Amino acid sequence: MRRYRFVLVRPFQLIPVLFGISVITFVLVRLIPGDPARILLGTRATPTAIANIRAQYGLDEPIWVQYLYFLKNLAAGEMGKSTLYKVDTLKLIVTRIEPTLALVVAGVVLALVIAVPFAAISARRQGTAADHAIRIVSTAGIGFPSFWLGAMLIILFAVRLDWLPVSGYGDSLGDKLLHLILPGLTIALSLSAVITRSLRAGMIAGLSSDVAVAARARGMPESVVFWRHVVPNALVPTVNLLAINVGWLIGGTVVVESVFAVPGLGQLMVRGIFSRDYMVVQGVALTFAVATVLINFLADVVTVALDPRVEL
Amino acid sequence: MSAHLEIAGLSVAFRDHQEERPLLEGVSLTLTRGEILGLVGESGSGKSLLCRTVIGLMPSRKLHVTEGSVRLDGDEILGRDMGAIRGRRIGMIFQNPTSHLDPVMTIGNQIREGLARHKGLDDRAARAEAISLLTQVGFPDPAHAFASYAHQFSGGMRQRAMIAVALACDPEILIADEPTTALDVTVQAQILRLLMELRDRRGLSIILITHDLGVVAQTCDRIAVMRHGKVVETGAKRALLAEPQHAYTRELIASHPSMPHPEDAPETHPHDRRPIFEIDGLDVSFPMGGGFLTGHREVRAVKGVSLRIWPGETVGIVGESGSGKSTLARAMLGLTRVSGGDITFDGSVLTKERDKTLKHLRSDAAMVFQDPFNSLNPRMTVGQTLAEVLRTQGETPRGRIAARIGELLDLVGLNRSFAARRPRSLSGGQCQRAGIARALAVNPRVIIADECVAALDVTIQAQIVDLFRDLTRRTGLTLIFIAHDLAIVRNLCERVVVMRHGEIVEDGPSARVLHRPERSYTAALIAAIPDINPDRPLNGGQPLTQQEYAT
Repeated sequence: MRRYRFVLVRPFQLIPVLFGISVITFVLVRLIPGDPARILLGTRATPTAIANIRAQYGLDEPIWVQYLYFLKNLAAGEMGKSTLYKVDTLKLIVTRIEPTLALVVAGVVLALVIAVPFAAISARRQGTAADHAIRIVSTAGIGFPSFWLGAMLIILFAVRLDWLPVSGYGDSLGDKLLHLILPGLTIALSLSAVITRSLRAGMIAGLSSDVAVAARARGMPESVVFWRHVVPNALVPTVNLLAINVGWLIGGTVVVESVFAVPGLGQLMVRGIFSRDYMVVQGVALTFAVATVLINFLADVVTVALDPRVEL
Repeated sequence: MSAHLEIAGLSVAFRDHQEERPLLEGVSLTLTRGEILGLVGESGSGKSLLCRTVIGLMPSRKLHVTEGSVRLDGDEILGRDMGAIRGRRIGMIFQNPTSHLDPVMTIGNQIREGLARHKGLDDRAARAEAISLLTQVGFPDPAHAFASYAHQFSGGMRQRAMIAVALACDPEILIADEPTTALDVTVQAQILRLLMELRDRRGLSIILITHDLGVVAQTCDRIAVMRHGKVVETGAKRALLAEPQHAYTRELIASHPSMPHPEDAPETHPHDRRPIFEIDGLDVSFPMGGGFLTGHREVRAVKGVSLRIWPGETVGIVGESGSGKSTLARAMLGLTRVSGGDITFDGSVLTKERDKTLKHLRSDAAMVFQDPFNSLNPRMTVGQTLAEVLRTQGETPRGRIAARIGELLDLVGLNRSFAARRPRSLSGGQCQRAGIARALAVNPRVIIADECVAALDVTIQAQIVDLFRDLTRRTGLTLIFIAHDLAIVRNLCERVVVMRHGEIVEDGPSARVLHRPERSYTAALIAAIPDINPDRPLNGGQPLTQQEYAT
């Protein structure tokens, strides 16, 4: 259990990290050219009206005072009132987080469902036609941008075949799952390409490793050598690769959510940027940052569970 | 007695497109039931390949058996389905238990896997049997070992674990491929004793692959000597060692470092001048684990070591792995931060005037490393490597560099044409000579050689030791030779420093320390060296201490 002690200590180490992230997002948002009050009121607003709005949202204060308000709000469980939606940003985030979370989970699960068997086939039949085909597909998968891939999937499965909904996010659970398939697949196709390549390399190294030779010398059949000895060892580096990619993916949902009109955080972020809704942009950015930090933390826990040599 | 395993006229070739290169040629060997057969030869002689061929696990698909037969209890097994033979009838253990044990599976589960497959035991029965096996191979706390992972044990215990994993399949024949090469001598003695015990208790037949004739002399009944893919000589142990028929066998025996050398124990230098190295109360600690906001633990690799080395001396620093000998060497060259004490090199104090002393050290001292391949830049030719050193040092005029490279190659006994070759195209011995040439390039007064012959074959070892002996005699070089092999040190060095757990336990002239040791630890180290004379039985390898048990 000593190896898991970092689980208790790590949250405290994350405090300075999150503090730093909040400062950076707060400042960067305000570097975007454009004035939220002006955008909110339109081009024909009077200077007095603009000044009123600026005062109402505290935008006339110096930036460090604004930041202190932000911290004060955060302590009270608020992220500041959105200039666009007129409600507290945290409430907005809470209502929008579910589709995004579901999308990321669907993407990762589908990616693993695709990547593990593909990598296994590719590694065990190295140099055959199946291996080459899988490698070409995974290289292509990395190359295709997700907005294009998503559009193609919509044309094929939603428009031509009419199997799945074009866009949006359902109400009932079954409906939601149905709506998640295409955007999930869009994410999974590019993510699985990265994972397949890493897993394949790990498995190929594992198949000729001393561990595999020793297992074969004990008379273990090839399937046991592969699934019981090679795969667990190949998973360790892949977990970290997956964590890095999922962190990147959370930001990437912005694109996929736009293509499929999924009402998630990514969409909220895009709207917030266009209307210079500082509160929303910094709130969502902070949420993404927290999510990335949590995922890496989770990856560390999984790594410790998979590899008894790792001590954190 | 019947032949348990009979290999007849076995040939294996490497085949790639048009090319066909024989690797084993007409090898014939017989393993009698219950005997230990020593298979001796240098790297590349084909001894490991032979054993891998027997169990059908050739390391490459480009290798093919071209002719011959392998009979197990009279039945031909070549080309047969090996699933029922591997592990169950012929087991194998390997040189490096660290890489051959699954790092993410407990030792217990690896044993249980074999028991379930070959004996059909259910989980509970397998657990009980696994614990009994762990007891048999000498784990003091088998239940704990059952639930532990390989990395939690020392090298010797890992080898025991690997033996237990192999025994779980209950083999009749055990092939042990260099099982003790990576281990300290005292641990080696324990493992060899364990193998002999297992042979007696379980009636195993064992093929012991080794490059060390001492190991063979101490453990085997018969010996087969291999070279270039052929068996050059086979015979009963005593007869073969006493009257080797083949010239190569004679060379192997003569190269064995435990043989008394004509110039045994070189004479000592007078200590009249100022020491070149003065080390006082040296401490080196490494942080272990821990991190931001968590406590640091420390490992003290060197504890309060004081040592004087005089110009022209050849000093051997010996000790088992973890004794701190390499750390001491690195600290002396300023390659490791020192936690306490002083190091003085030729009058300037490294620990006080670091930059000045380092400059001095870099031009007057050089290091030769253990791994000749990995310590040379693979992208540079030997000539480029040497030229780089010569240019950096700046004492050789540009126009003289090529000539100086030639001289250096002459000095280490390499043909001048080697300047144009890259490390990959060199053998281990040639690579190590290039490494020594690089060390000599700065025209050093001191060379520190860290286990620089450990990875080499015995005949090559002997050549490198001769080279060092010749260099020290001709150039007045001070040599600090770090090794775990006492026999080599006895041949080369006038003075021996014995280290254990970061401390110096004994220091004195080789002849005295190695023949009349004052400390029991030194005596135990010497006793554990397998002597090539079978009538001087293997000592040492006493029951486990707690220290040896844990890493």
